[in-house]
Amino acid sequence: MPGGGALGGVKHLQFTIPEGDEDRVLRLERQLAREREARLAAEAIAEKGLRDLYTSQQRLALLQRITERANSSDDFQTAAAYALKDICTEMEWDFGNSYVVPDDGSAALACDCWFLASPDGLDPFVEVSRSIRFAAGIGLPGRVLTETRAHWVQDVREDTNFLRLAIARECGVVAGCAFPIMVGKQVVAIFEFFSRRTITPDEGMVETMAQIGIQLGRVVERVRAREALLHDTLHDSLTGLPNRVLLADRATQAFERRSTGGPGLAVLVIDLNGFKTINDKHGHHLGDEVLVAVSRRFSAALGSWQKEGGSEVEALLARTGGDEFVVLLAGTVEPTLAQHVAELLQSALDAPFRAGEEEAPISASIGIALCAPAYGHVDQVIRDADLAMYEAKSGDHANIVMFTPSLGNRVRNRMALEQEIREAISARQFVLHYQPIVGLSSGQVSGFEALVRWNHPLRGLISPNEFIPIAEQNGSIVSLGEWVLQEACAALARLHRTMPAGFLPSVAVNIAPVQFLQPDFIAQLRAVLRETGVPPACLKLEVTEGVAIIDSERTRRTLEQCRDIGVRTGLDDFGTGYSSLSYLHSLPFDTLKIDRSFIAAMERPKSLSIVRTILDLSKKLGLSVVAEGIETDRQSLSLAAWGCEFGQGYLLGRPEPEATAFRFNPARPIL
Amino acid sequence: MKGIILNLLEEAVIAEFGDAAWPNLIDLAGVSGVYTSLGSYPDEDVYALVRAASEALTTSQEEILRWFGRRAIPLLADRYGVFFEHHRTARSLILSLNEIIHPEVRKLYSGAGCPHFQFSDHADGRLVIGYQSPRKMCQLMHGFVEGTSTYFAETVELEHLACMQDGSPQCRVAVHWAG
Repeated sequence: MPGGGALGGVKHLQFTIPEGDEDRVLRLERQLAREREARLAAEAIAEKGLRDLYTSQQRLALLQRITERANSSDDFQTAAAYALKDICTEMEWDFGNSYVVPDDGSAALACDCWFLASPDGLDPFVEVSRSIRFAAGIGLPGRVLTETRAHWVQDVREDTNFLRLAIARECGVVAGCAFPIMVGKQVVAIFEFFSRRTITPDEGMVETMAQIGIQLGRVVERVRAREALLHDTLHDSLTGLPNRVLLADRATQAFERRSTGGPGLAVLVIDLNGFKTINDKHGHHLGDEVLVAVSRRFSAALGSWQKEGGSEVEALLARTGGDEFVVLLAGTVEPTLAQHVAELLQSALDAPFRAGEEEAPISASIGIALCAPAYGHVDQVIRDADLAMYEAKSGDHANIVMFTPSLGNRVRNRMALEQEIREAISARQFVLHYQPIVGLSSGQVSGFEALVRWNHPLRGLISPNEFIPIAEQNGSIVSLGEWVLQEACAALARLHRTMPAGFLPSVAVNIAPVQFLQPDFIAQLRAVLRETGVPPACLKLEVTEGVAIIDSERTRRTLEQCRDIGVRTGLDDFGTGYSSLSYLHSLPFDTLKIDRSFIAAMERPKSLSIVRTILDLSKKLGLSVVAEGIETDRQSLSLAAWGCEFGQGYLLGRPEPEATAFRFNPARPIL
Repeated sequence: MKGIILNLLEEAVIAEFGDAAWPNLIDLAGVSGVYTSLGSYPDEDVYALVRAASEALTTSQEEILRWFGRRAIPLLADRYGVFFEHHRTARSLILSLNEIIHPEVRKLYSGAGCPHFQFSDHADGRLVIGYQSPRKMCQLMHGFVEGTSTYFAETVELEHLACMQDGSPQCRVAVHWAG
């Protein structure tokens, strides 16, 4: 019986239908058959529903697991590794692989993060896939990059745009699919999966992959936000260069390597010359543009030096302040090498910068400190480079100065003095002395020159030669100058109140170039005149030709504005500097002051002829002349004879405090 | 027992003995007979039906189970073609039971107690299937293996090396495909 499939004894399971009921039975049988069909159909529907439900529950659970992992992951690799494994297991792929996409979106680069669910024979395919690169549009990942959505290849062997075809054939790879990891609309990474069997494209699976792509994108987004934050805290927002914090970190690392027997380091502190003028003249916006341009030139110079030089030294360029940059050289740094780098940086600024329509020259003062065994902390190296820069800055030209201990002492003293100057202004330690200016033919006092003195609590009275150059360098000259102008005018107002009617002596005030070129200088001048009530014609501002060298156009405008107000202006120390005749011609001065050195040397024919030439020239230009440093009657008489209108000097009166200087009889000639 | 098994049994009986045979068998076995493929029913119903058929046909219960196993395979292939289409041999399909077919069954019947098969190679090259189930239906498995072989047009010989019915802790069936 068995074997053929049939069972014996069939008759036992049969029954007989009574006569006459046959039609009814047939009808019932048909109905039964329909019912059975209906039941099968209902079961099939329910079965499909259950399968779909099961699948969607599994996918939701998968998505939930990956989302949870993504939410708790701080790096993409970890989240990706987990997701690749889970997707392979859940969706029955044999191999899952991942790619990162650089910001420009040009390519997909395999990042060696993959999962092999079923190793049998797939190893060569994995080996190729873990380090491959695809350009946009090329291969499976390339297509996902271009299309920004999942791409399915039912049979890679029949796909014309599948680059790993040979190895895929060898390993029996059949189905493949890939989907993008998205941040907004940008593809940041790509996942690809392969199977040795056919896997039919499935809308639900594609939808789940898209969701996974979004969830994993959040990890990338978080990582980027963190990196951006970190970058911001370590970089200067204007130039994008490392900032002081990052510099300190790298410098410390280099220093520690050195102390454990590693190579050395050097620090170059760079301060720009000419930048402040650009900022003052053209505003911060253009100033910022120039800073960016400077940082690019420095970066390019260092970049090509490292590329070409074959030097083992690592260079880090940082912006540490307004117009201050630092280069850290880590490695075996000889003094000559540091000097060479400094020179490269200086040459990078040779070509002038543009500020609006104008050319804006910028140069760099550079201080260098090389790490010596004596240093206990890297901050000391940076500090000494800073001191060397300070020294470099004190010269007339852009200098490079290498730190030495004796230089350190010198600079430290000067810096202490700077600090003292700042404090002295607020402590009102400065006083004005007044030296009379006398009409050489009348012998009568026509006015005074206000001269600043520092009444130092410990050192006594200090001459301006000792502190004015320093105040000019550190910028405190501006506040000191403001005080001088204010105080001289106030004193003059007091003097005028004691003078007989119709006699109003004038006061000459020296204005430093940086003060004269302040954008609000004229406004300040008006305010002082208004507050003190001094007639503008009684105030004479004396500037040196240095101001015109810095910015002749602005000097001309400011001089004209002074003239508009009625304030007179004088060119101080004429004959000592360039003494360019073009300044005399183009700048509207009222007075010219002959420097004391020519007066002192009037015995010599050469000096004499210079003095006479200046006097002739002034006469032709309509300028009144003051001769400084008259110490003898002979000098005074000669100058008067040659037409010099005014004189000043010990013969005519020494500088004295207000109380003494202003005690004079205006009706009685001094001479 | 899953309703699908009872449904397949119904189809097999009707196909072999006609429409009336199944209601008769239900009556003889004294079971409810209301079975849908997605439901679960007492194992006792299957035993009762097999017993009734065995008595009515004066055939051993083992033979009834083997017959059913053989007949069920083409019906299953008809209904779940997807499980068969990836395989070219009976051996390949049988080896996929634990990993592919049973997980699929569990998708439909959460918590379904599917028997786990242990596969090993006998020294003489035969495939040995280890089976362990409180239902002790190794004969049904025997029929399934025969039916599957027929489906793939293969000739098969089975030998029960050990059987739970004889007190062995596990049934072990050696399978040999000719050719």
